[in-house]
Amino acid sequence: MALPLNYNIRNVLVRWRTTLFTVLGIGAVVLVFLGLRALGRGIEATNANTGDSRNLLVVRKGSQAESGSLVSREQFRTLRDLPGIARNAAGEPLVSAELVMIVSAPRRDEVGEANTLIRGVTPRGMELRSQVALVEGRWFRAGQREVVVSSRLARRFAGFEVGGTIKAGPDRLTVVGHFDGRGSAFDSEAWMDADESRALFDREQYSSVLLRPADDSLAAGLIQRIDHDKRLALRAEREVDYYSKQTMTAKPINYLAGILGTAMSVGAVFAAMNTMYASVGARTREIGTLRVLGYSRRSIVLCFLIEGVLLALLGGILGCATAWGLQVELAAFNVSFGTLDFQSFAETVFQFRVTPDLMLLGLGFSVVIGLAGSLLPALRAARLPVIVALKSL
Amino acid sequence: MNLPTFILKNALRNRRRALLTVLSVGISCALLVTLLTLQRELTVPPESQAASLRIIARNKVSLAQPLPAKQLRVIERIPGVVAVSPFTYFGGNFRDETLTSFAQFAVDPVRFRGLLVEARVMEGSYEAFEKDRLSCMVGIETVGRYGLRIGDRMKFTGTFYPVDLDLKIAAVFGGTIDDRGVFFHHKLLDELSGDPGTVGTWYIRAASPEVANDVIARLNGAFANTAAEVRAETERAFQLGFVSMLGNVKMLVLLISGAVVFTLSLVTISTMSMAIRERFRELAVLKALGFQRRELFAFILAESFGLAALGALLGVGGAWALWTHLDLQKLTSGFLIYFEVTPRIMAWGAAVAALMGVVAALPPAWQTARMSVTEGLQTLD
Repeated sequence: MALPLNYNIRNVLVRWRTTLFTVLGIGAVVLVFLGLRALGRGIEATNANTGDSRNLLVVRKGSQAESGSLVSREQFRTLRDLPGIARNAAGEPLVSAELVMIVSAPRRDEVGEANTLIRGVTPRGMELRSQVALVEGRWFRAGQREVVVSSRLARRFAGFEVGGTIKAGPDRLTVVGHFDGRGSAFDSEAWMDADESRALFDREQYSSVLLRPADDSLAAGLIQRIDHDKRLALRAEREVDYYSKQTMTAKPINYLAGILGTAMSVGAVFAAMNTMYASVGARTREIGTLRVLGYSRRSIVLCFLIEGVLLALLGGILGCATAWGLQVELAAFNVSFGTLDFQSFAETVFQFRVTPDLMLLGLGFSVVIGLAGSLLPALRAARLPVIVALKSL
Repeated sequence: MNLPTFILKNALRNRRRALLTVLSVGISCALLVTLLTLQRELTVPPESQAASLRIIARNKVSLAQPLPAKQLRVIERIPGVVAVSPFTYFGGNFRDETLTSFAQFAVDPVRFRGLLVEARVMEGSYEAFEKDRLSCMVGIETVGRYGLRIGDRMKFTGTFYPVDLDLKIAAVFGGTIDDRGVFFHHKLLDELSGDPGTVGTWYIRAASPEVANDVIARLNGAFANTAAEVRAETERAFQLGFVSMLGNVKMLVLLISGAVVFTLSLVTISTMSMAIRERFRELAVLKALGFQRRELFAFILAESFGLAALGALLGVGGAWALWTHLDLQKLTSGFLIYFEVTPRIMAWGAAVAALMGVVAALPPAWQTARMSVTEGLQTLD
């Protein structure tokens, strides 16, 4: 027969002081684990949320990111004239040859500089990216040294406010507006006129070409055709697939979360064990009484395991709640994080993302800590000789 | 029985608890040391003597923007410049790797000799590297890691450059702060990419540390208001620039360290309170026997501090031993290179643990000081 759950709950609460410390400790472990995973998830979510499933992105074979890719004007013309490309209302093919450049800019709140990504984009390219919307100021004008930056990027770099200037060597770009990429990788970009950017950076070639097949059934054929054309030496892939693969930066963060989470939870297991042993020690007589009343050894083990898990779960809930609260606060103040993206070699901006599956993982983590921490004390409680236990003070 | 044995016996009377406390303090300490080492690894690039003389000049726009090769003539004539070579990051992937952790640079071998002065050629010869346009010079660490020898070929797929390399190892170098790199002929890169007349960066050596700053100022001035403005800085400042690019990562590591310290303090405080609450009655007896408050406090403090110190010894020592003997470069495929646990970091770890030991003693000591003897004697638990 199992002991009523209420017995465990009351026991946890009556020793509130030691309980509190253990719960806080386990909570901190879950928070660190969740917090780090939330950052990794933020990077993954940003990239997973980028692009239009109808679009194809074409880059040079062998290049890992747009910033390391080159597409010549000849190649662009070949691509533009491929059959099966969608046209807009004005009858123009939806193909955009773009230049991705990296410009070093001073940070806003601290010393030092970091790389920012400037995309030279065409009107077709803007048509192809419906995720991006102007939120302040106006769009750049063709042939002008004007740039529109993501509002999230603008918060991180000096001179990125509307009316500010971005220095590109001896040249100046005027910021005329801010756009919002709605949580996509475009939130880490600044956009200007494609031809103007080629003139400014003295580039003959483009970095990439974005295009849309007239019909989705034509996409696979177009990809094949581009991939297999030896003369082109280009690689086409769905825009969404390209971005969902740009998550190498999340790897070390997730890795760190795993290592730290494991190491900290071992420490937490020791702490939980201490609490549970103390709890068993203080209740020796009680346990003897329960045994006399007819509760089996098994139900005593179960009872302490439940208590341990309850304790840890409280910590887990605390950790999850804190992480969730942190996300709400960060979102309320529009805080985003940024670090160097290994692939694009520019600053990538992302949000702190605590998702339900991560929270479940955090809770699972705490349950494991609770079980591991209470198993030995529970076995000890069950093994206490009844008579000795009853005699103890 | 003297005082130290009394304290020792007290600390060890619940061996299991003592062990668990020491272990949890130990793990927290090891974590703290590890995090501080990580923080240092990410933010403090290694320093070398020769590096203080070296200057890197890149395009002011960004590192990704090339510089015109014709700048060489101007740089050579700047007073205080002893040697200058093009220094172009190739960024290729070795064999079938998707992210190669060692860098490849295109240099002018003749000029480069005057730059990497601390390097020693361990195998092969520098002359062979100089003569053969298709050859390369490889760091001893990379050679060791992949089991390469002189005469072997190294194939790279370009990620930034639309060309691939097939190089023959002519020399192996060692003795620099980072013995991983691969150096090859800039001429080869120029040929393969159709002679664009550009270089990635300029690598420059100043005559002495005193003139280095003047050289930097002259370099920056020489190309001001030209189409390709230059940002020159010492090799160290250049490396610190990468730290700035890491953005929020530095702050995050510090935040996590804070969380670890918080957990550490919770564990020690709760254990000490448990240990003292268990022997409240005994402490009352001691009080009745005439022991002073401060003596009781000393007992508690010594026990708490002792356990924390033991944990610190275990944790800090363990972390040091682990990170010193583990080949992290291999394990993280080059992401972490030195991961040096410095005495300073170890001192920080130990100091935090010691402080926790003292802090943990305060609440129970305060409780003991306040209790009346009769009250204490009546406690059952």
